[in-house]
Amino acid sequence: MRLALRLALLLAAVLALVACSEKEQVAEFKRGKYQGKPDNQSWANDPLPAEFRGGTWAKGDRTAWEEQIKKRQLAQHEYRRIYQ
Amino acid sequence: MLLTRKATGTAAPQARLSRGLSGALAKTMDRRTFLKRSGVGVGAGAVASQLPFSMIGTAEAKEEQTSGKIEVKRTVCTHCSVGCSIDAVVQNGVWIRQEPVFDSPLNLGAHCAKGASIREHGITHDSHRLKYPMKLEGGKWKKVSWDQAYDDISKKLLEIRNDKEKGGPDALFVIGSSKHNNEQSELLCKWVRLWGTNNTDHQARICHSTTVAGVAQTWGYGAMTNSYNDEQNSKSLLFLGSNAAEAHPVSMLHTLHAKENGCKVIVADPRFTRTAAKADMYVRTRSGADVPFLFGILHHVFKNGWEDKEYIKARVHGMDEVKKEVMAKWTPDKVTEACGVPEDQVFAVAKTLAENRPGFIIWAMGQTQHTNANAIVRASNILMLALGNVGRSGGGCNIYRGHDNVQGATDIGPNPDTLPGYYPVAVPGSWAHWAKVWNVDPAWLKGRYASEALMAKPGMTVSRWIDGVMEKNDAIDQDPNLRAIFFWGHAPNSQSRGLEMLEAMKKLDLMVVIDPYPSASAAMFAKVRKDGAYLLPAATQLETEGSVTASNRSLQWREKVIDPVFESRTDQMIMYQLAQKLGFADQFLGKKDGKQNIRLVKAKGGMEEPSMEDTLRNDINKGAWTIGYTGQSPERLQAHMRNQHVFDVKTLRAKGGKDAKTGYDLTGDYYGLPWPCYGTAAIKHPGTPNLYDTSKHSMDGGHTFRALFGVEKDGVNLLAEDGIASKGSDITTGYPQFDHVLLKKLGWWDELTDEEKKEAEGKTWANDLSGGIQRVAMKHGCSAFGNAKARAVVWNFPDPIPQHREPLYSPRPDLVEKYPTHDDVKTFWRLPTLFKSVQQKAVKEEMHKKFPLILTSGRLVEYEGGGDETRSNPWLAELMQDNFVELNPKTAADRSIRNGEYVWVATPSGARIKVKAKVTEGIGPDTVFIPFHFAGWWQGEDMLPYYPDGAAPIVRGEAVNTATTYGYDRVTMMQETKTTLCEVAKA
Amino acid sequence: MARMKFLCDAERCIECNGCVTACKNENEVPWGVNRRRVVTINDGVVGAEKSISVACMHCSDAPCMAVCPVDCFYRTDDGVVLHDKDLCIGCGYCFYACPFGAPQFPQAGAFGLRGKMDKCTFCAGGPEPDRSDAEFRKYGRNRLAEGKLPACAEMCSTKALLGGDGDVIADIYRERVLRRGRGADLWGWSSAYGVKPGAQPPVQQPAPTRGKS
Repeated sequence: MRLALRLALLLAAVLALVACSEKEQVAEFKRGKYQGKPDNQSWANDPLPAEFRGGTWAKGDRTAWEEQIKKRQLAQHEYRRIYQ
Repeated sequence: MLLTRKATGTAAPQARLSRGLSGALAKTMDRRTFLKRSGVGVGAGAVASQLPFSMIGTAEAKEEQTSGKIEVKRTVCTHCSVGCSIDAVVQNGVWIRQEPVFDSPLNLGAHCAKGASIREHGITHDSHRLKYPMKLEGGKWKKVSWDQAYDDISKKLLEIRNDKEKGGPDALFVIGSSKHNNEQSELLCKWVRLWGTNNTDHQARICHSTTVAGVAQTWGYGAMTNSYNDEQNSKSLLFLGSNAAEAHPVSMLHTLHAKENGCKVIVADPRFTRTAAKADMYVRTRSGADVPFLFGILHHVFKNGWEDKEYIKARVHGMDEVKKEVMAKWTPDKVTEACGVPEDQVFAVAKTLAENRPGFIIWAMGQTQHTNANAIVRASNILMLALGNVGRSGGGCNIYRGHDNVQGATDIGPNPDTLPGYYPVAVPGSWAHWAKVWNVDPAWLKGRYASEALMAKPGMTVSRWIDGVMEKNDAIDQDPNLRAIFFWGHAPNSQSRGLEMLEAMKKLDLMVVIDPYPSASAAMFAKVRKDGAYLLPAATQLETEGSVTASNRSLQWREKVIDPVFESRTDQMIMYQLAQKLGFADQFLGKKDGKQNIRLVKAKGGMEEPSMEDTLRNDINKGAWTIGYTGQSPERLQAHMRNQHVFDVKTLRAKGGKDAKTGYDLTGDYYGLPWPCYGTAAIKHPGTPNLYDTSKHSMDGGHTFRALFGVEKDGVNLLAEDGIASKGSDITTGYPQFDHVLLKKLGWWDELTDEEKKEAEGKTWANDLSGGIQRVAMKHGCSAFGNAKARAVVWNFPDPIPQHREPLYSPRPDLVEKYPTHDDVKTFWRLPTLFKSVQQKAVKEEMHKKFPLILTSGRLVEYEGGGDETRSNPWLAELMQDNFVELNPKTAADRSIRNGEYVWVATPSGARIKVKAKVTEGIGPDTVFIPFHFAGWWQGEDMLPYYPDGAAPIVRGEAVNTATTYGYDRVTMMQETKTTLCEVAKA
Repeated sequence: MARMKFLCDAERCIECNGCVTACKNENEVPWGVNRRRVVTINDGVVGAEKSISVACMHCSDAPCMAVCPVDCFYRTDDGVVLHDKDLCIGCGYCFYACPFGAPQFPQAGAFGLRGKMDKCTFCAGGPEPDRSDAEFRKYGRNRLAEGKLPACAEMCSTKALLGGDGDVIADIYRERVLRRGRGADLWGWSSAYGVKPGAQPPVQQPAPTRGKS
């Protein structure tokens, strides 16, 4: 009984360590595997004219593009509009 | 990103995959042949779906192009009264994109299925719109020119008008539309009066007429007291007779936000609706038994002393009488017997409402479409008054209106009993007032009517036009029977007694349908007639500009998105052109003595039409003083639309902000200047977000209960008690309506300018065209309409204290005996109207045994109203392709009906309709539910052959109202569509 | 680094289908193809009815990607799973693999050919020049390349459907959970953790002690 418990604890400890060394759970896109046409990144475009109600960023500036996407996303958060 | 739409024409060939395809197919096979051969009723979509999406065409990777003029038009969704803003991106006149408007304080960018698919209106490929004027000839719909249609129609109308024996102006009935914008509604109201009859009405009759009457008679204005937004300030919400999740989906944004922050949500309904699925508590009631349920709640409120005694004493008249009656008559056993709700549930509702104040009661058609609805809505008012909920933020009666502008069309549109602004036709002063505003000679106007008596007599109602045609001539209260009818934006399948409507159509001399989608009326008419009808293609609200009043009384200005498609014309243009033919074009524009109210502006094809801005500025703003449609100038409304971001979502108020284009200072305005927005635009009244709210100054949107019913009744004071007045008021007790006499007595007369004095002399706050009386009253913190008590007892109604009365077709003869309906009425809105005789006949013939199930009806989220428009939109049509009846598993099993099978639903009217069975626990075993948006089948027969070519909606189905029965409200002639009887059998 | 995700708040979804038509409108998807749909469980059952909007979830380790015999799938740097229709053979293996039924196969055509797979692109188009005619025709709109988010999430009637950077979504959702004062009521919670979602008691008979103010 005791042994079993000890073993279990040991196992748990090992498993815990395993978890520590776990690499990021996101499967990385392996460019080599995809056989289709290439596609470019969303931020590798110029913004559209203001009439289209889109965001603004400098072509190729990923950080700026992400920033404004995040800002726009808050439109889905009515608390922001309500308590602005 | 597709920016390469062809600039030529209104349609881009590649605008839509499916549409392009069906266009190609059409060369070898027309639409009707295709549908026939394929045996599917789904139209273009089905054709497209037969080809793989990705296999269509080998598009070249063209570089994106941003050439061509690109504009953004801000408009408002046309599918319900929430008033969701839309940014339409238009390139070279083609509507290419639809973007959400996150800034709008009403919808914050959100849309339901209808709003999110509204761009379909702008896609002209394989459109199901009516494309050109048509005429029924030899049983076929034939294309005619506008000129010929106008000539024929006006010739026939004048012939009927000049027929001394069987004609006259009252032989015409004009059904207007709650989808017209405010300006068009006002113009149509005027158009009908210039023709010389009061026989005009619109959907509000069969929507919220009982609300408007009951609520206005209780405290002054017949409208939603607060806003959807204000639910965020609320602690409890009782939905009784509203399925907002389907009928007003975006309002649920505010409701669920409130719930998230602790507001208790209760839904009472015969069905476990999608709204109920989101509630804290669901109560199943019996359809039509709302008064027992409401008074059952009130019983517990009184019994436990939960009523707001101070509030009642100071602001409510007659609550003692109501209390006496409720305590004696609506004991828990009687309540449960009548509405089927166990006592503990009624108690739980009462306790929740009492402990969570302020709160709203919310209703829509579930309360209003009953023979007893005027009493039901007043019972709701009384409950809220007892709890002290009315006249404050977060509490009151949130009455959800249906169509996008049904509130506006009620306020200032084509009504049989009132001129714009609820000025009653029965009062000569109303005519003098509006003739002056319209710049029309009063004597000429009088001459247009058959007689002075008929001028003062409210016209027939849209719910009864069929009887106006069919009733024996000596039984009706006007000279001729109805012979000609205009369906100016109205679906026939939204009206009850479909079988009899078909009979009425057989007898008409002339039917004119003016609509973008006239299909249901056209098909019904062509089914029984060879000739006698004209169809005129009207533009939609996206193809014109104008203001629209949301349910919360906010006005929003729509910009025109695209030009009217095909040969369609705007309603205002059609009104003007018909007026030219009929000889009252000058009066229509208010052209007299060198003055002209409404200018003509250049429109489609170089033709002229009345200016919408002028109509608002010079007709509506100048005349509708009673309800405060006077401060909402086009300039102010447009500034609001451009600066939606400055308005607070919870209060709707602008904290600051200046319009960049005009420099207009928005500070303090409530969004859309919710009416009443008193005085002229110049005094900058901010609008009234919550009615009767005394915690604000009258120039800040506060006011009191309206003094509409005199100063005392049987020696009892009707005005507010001492100490009750809106904030900052110079008079701190009750006072009557303001007029020139009161102003002089108070010594405030000299605060009027000389100009104002000239206009105000001999006038009241409601007909002083200078607005001076209102201005001075408000300067002193007073409400121009007086300061009175709300009435729990409405002594001028058939039931001064709301009574329960069983529906005409009741499943419970025992209750009919206890709670019988009214006596028959000989003359009611010009027509004899039956109550008791129908009810007793039903009991005698044991209809409850032949038809043991309650039939009720309601909305689906995908469709709107009669549904011809939305069922023509493939994005929506795909989602709901069959009409159905909801059956409880027990109901279905007892009849050996399986889910998805066709069944026949038969009613005492003699009709039977074929729909699919949807077996669900959501409905009780005693009730069945059918949505009302469908048309195009007639008792099992597909009416496709009777539609004008290419104008049949994608989805057709059986209209529930083909089968609904007789029954009308005793005050407003509202039709009964929510409670009748039926039997269901396997098809 | 943004990682695009959808989340549907079942406490808010009212089955209005706004997301479905927003998608149809923005991508002009033909009749019969539903990149997004609303699923309702226990329809009509008091206290148990829940709705949720479902489309491609843009899995981080996407099963469709793993099983595709022609390797037509790819994941963009911001976490969107897309595919190349020129390469797709319409075999339907991804349909087997997908836990959400996201892949759509347009009906068999006139020649009995099976359609190529179509699915939600997170409004990010596909492997054609961004915002080009070709991209739109094959894959629909590329809103991400316009600096916008998917139309379905942006237009959701009750803001139940959230779409965008996973971190921001988590923040938005966390605030709602805090306001509600109880745990997550997400769909699938009970099967994942063996407990019933937060305090939704059977509602027909509320305890009299309800509603403290």
